[in-house]
Amino acid sequence: MPGVRTRNESAWLLPNDGSRTDHRLRDGMRRFADTDELDLVIVGCGAGGSVLLQRLARAGWRVAALDAGPFWDPDTDWVSDEAGSHRLYWTEPRVISGTDPVPMGSNNSGRGVGGSMVHYAGYTPRFHPSDFATRTRDGVGADWPLSYPELRPYYEQLEQELPVAGERWPWGDPHGYPHRPHPVSGNGEIFLRGARKLGIEARVGPVAITNGRFGNRPHCIYRGFCLQGCKVNAKASPLITHIPDALAHGAEVRADAMVTRIAIDSGTGRALGVHYVRDGRERFQRAAMVAVAGYSIETPRLLLNSACSRFPDGLCNEFDQVGRYLMVQGAPQTAGRFDAEVRMYKAPPPEVSSEAFYETDPARDFQRGFSIQTVSPLPITWAEHVAAQGHWGGALREYMSDYVHWACLGALCEFLPRPGNRVTLAGEKDQHGLPVAEFSYSQGDNDKAQAKAAQAVMEDILRAAGADEVITIQRYAHLVGGARMAADERSGVVDQSCRSFAVPNLYITDGSVLPTQGAANPALTIMAVAARAAGQLAAGARSGSAS
Amino acid sequence: MTGRPGPYQRQQSGPGDRFPGLDVLGQARHWDSVTAGLVAARLSPPSGLAFFTPAEAACAGVLLNLLTGQEDNQEISVLHMIDARLAAGETDGWRYRDMPEDAQAWRDTLAYLDQDADRRCGTTFADAPEDDQLALIQAVQDLAAKDWHELNAAHVWSLWTRYACTALYAHPLAWDEIGFSGPAYPRGYKNIGVDKLEPYEVRDARPSGDPIREGT
Repeated sequence: MPGVRTRNESAWLLPNDGSRTDHRLRDGMRRFADTDELDLVIVGCGAGGSVLLQRLARAGWRVAALDAGPFWDPDTDWVSDEAGSHRLYWTEPRVISGTDPVPMGSNNSGRGVGGSMVHYAGYTPRFHPSDFATRTRDGVGADWPLSYPELRPYYEQLEQELPVAGERWPWGDPHGYPHRPHPVSGNGEIFLRGARKLGIEARVGPVAITNGRFGNRPHCIYRGFCLQGCKVNAKASPLITHIPDALAHGAEVRADAMVTRIAIDSGTGRALGVHYVRDGRERFQRAAMVAVAGYSIETPRLLLNSACSRFPDGLCNEFDQVGRYLMVQGAPQTAGRFDAEVRMYKAPPPEVSSEAFYETDPARDFQRGFSIQTVSPLPITWAEHVAAQGHWGGALREYMSDYVHWACLGALCEFLPRPGNRVTLAGEKDQHGLPVAEFSYSQGDNDKAQAKAAQAVMEDILRAAGADEVITIQRYAHLVGGARMAADERSGVVDQSCRSFAVPNLYITDGSVLPTQGAANPALTIMAVAARAAGQLAAGARSGSAS
Repeated sequence: MTGRPGPYQRQQSGPGDRFPGLDVLGQARHWDSVTAGLVAARLSPPSGLAFFTPAEAACAGVLLNLLTGQEDNQEISVLHMIDARLAAGETDGWRYRDMPEDAQAWRDTLAYLDQDADRRCGTTFADAPEDDQLALIQAVQDLAAKDWHELNAAHVWSLWTRYACTALYAHPLAWDEIGFSGPAYPRGYKNIGVDKLEPYEVRDARPSGDPIREGT
């Protein structure tokens, strides 16, 4: 892949001596003073924030990213263990409500540099072209203010930078991947076998896990603990794919810095910088421009907590749009039992996918669709599946002892955006005295019909592969929306360039800007949207900061 | 099957019955030192408790042993693991709006169990006969989403089982019982695929012993 290194040298900046972190790069990192007026301060160092940081550091901007969590060292901070990975998740208090409340934490909320991509499975599919115009095409959801072709170059760039491994992809906009598909384990074998018997197309990938050496990142060792943070440096997260290059180009990453409020000049209505807490001290970082990338819960919460005299109902919230249209994918997981030993804990959980049911099918009684992927729960997560069947005590132990015989598939259903599914501020306060987020979520009839159909397809695949028994657990996956991109301020929070309608030098560059979610894992699209916004900012030569 | 609780049953077989000789801890020399240290610490929990009061601990100890099938053999100290977690404030990062924060929810629900036991048997939950303890727990599960002491019983059940299962299956003795190989760094796996085992993995001695099939 000639060219990647000239655009993003991260993989070559990591050490090649068996350790995983370049401490010299971090120790020598540029450090700005609070009183320096940065060209841009970024809130949050996950998929969106890290890409923006790297791109603008390369463009010569004076830029820093503040993250509430730590600057991880995979060697010393991460473990090959489920319960021991607790610190990877955002576990500050949050309240969930609605008729179908969505549990947070380990499933969908990251913490620290790298964000939730530190513990995502590693699936990096693109959205389909149809995802950008579901209102026009299918009469549901929303149209984006940008189209698929405008995002495609960024998908292509990022697939090389991560890099992504997989078979040639026949769905959506057909495309290939820079790394060959990985060999599949027992769970992937079962999926492929069942799908073949039913004539359902399935493919290996797409996963952001190296298949072969990439810079100083080694080949995957098929350890199976992708969701606990990759100690190998094989699975991509911004911590290793974008932060090293950003530091090498003069960016600062200020970890353990919790941003509490965006400051607004009451006269001009422009952002002045961010208030944050570090080491128990309240501080203020000046900046000519602010980008929020705290993801779908913390971004709306920060905007609402930044209410001021000029924006009494919260920043960017004159039209009551902040926090709304927050989406989660319905993600039922169906497992099948085989007398053979599947041992699904061996090899990465993300292996094989099918997007054959992604688009609206006129023969079905719902709009839009779902994808099917391998998931491979480790014991604690598998116990949730067994307990969800109602088992406890000795029965739970008995059923759990059958673990090696089970294969498990997961669906991602494109649950539709609804205005009432939103973040508001709860009465409860966090350790900084700030109101915590309350996330209210309720499903619609279309959502329920999708999940039912997805479960039936997974049951069919597993039975076709030879399963004698199937069990299903209802759950959710991913978060997007909450500060969506739209054509105007009455229907969204930011424009197609991620610039907020209300504050000219305030941007939002994370998953919260997505107007629809497709039936695809969102990480790659979040990165692509941030990379596109970065390109526009760099081309505009800091135009957002001009008076 | 979702929503139909499985009947309580005492564990029929002992640990190690299906995977004879599997010794996950015996592989610890192949693990990275950070992970090995973490797992080793679970084998020798602190003797004292940091979160639960003595009365709460008595109630929680019985509840957790019954939830995890340890009425006959309490070799995995689920109580101590949960006590340490609650003392450190390690929640899952969310709570239902109709539930208190997890620490308070534990204290409240243990007190309610004692109230139920007092009404049924005139004793604390811990001092009630085992059949009554089991019936009191089953009653909470059977309520599903109905109210139990003005809490949504399904949310209480979720709290109890989430904490109990997380502690139980964090323990290497539980891994031996289910054939799981435990931590796998830096070694990784070399033999992946259906029915492919590493040299140190042990094949199931009862591959057709599917408990789900027996129950349907």
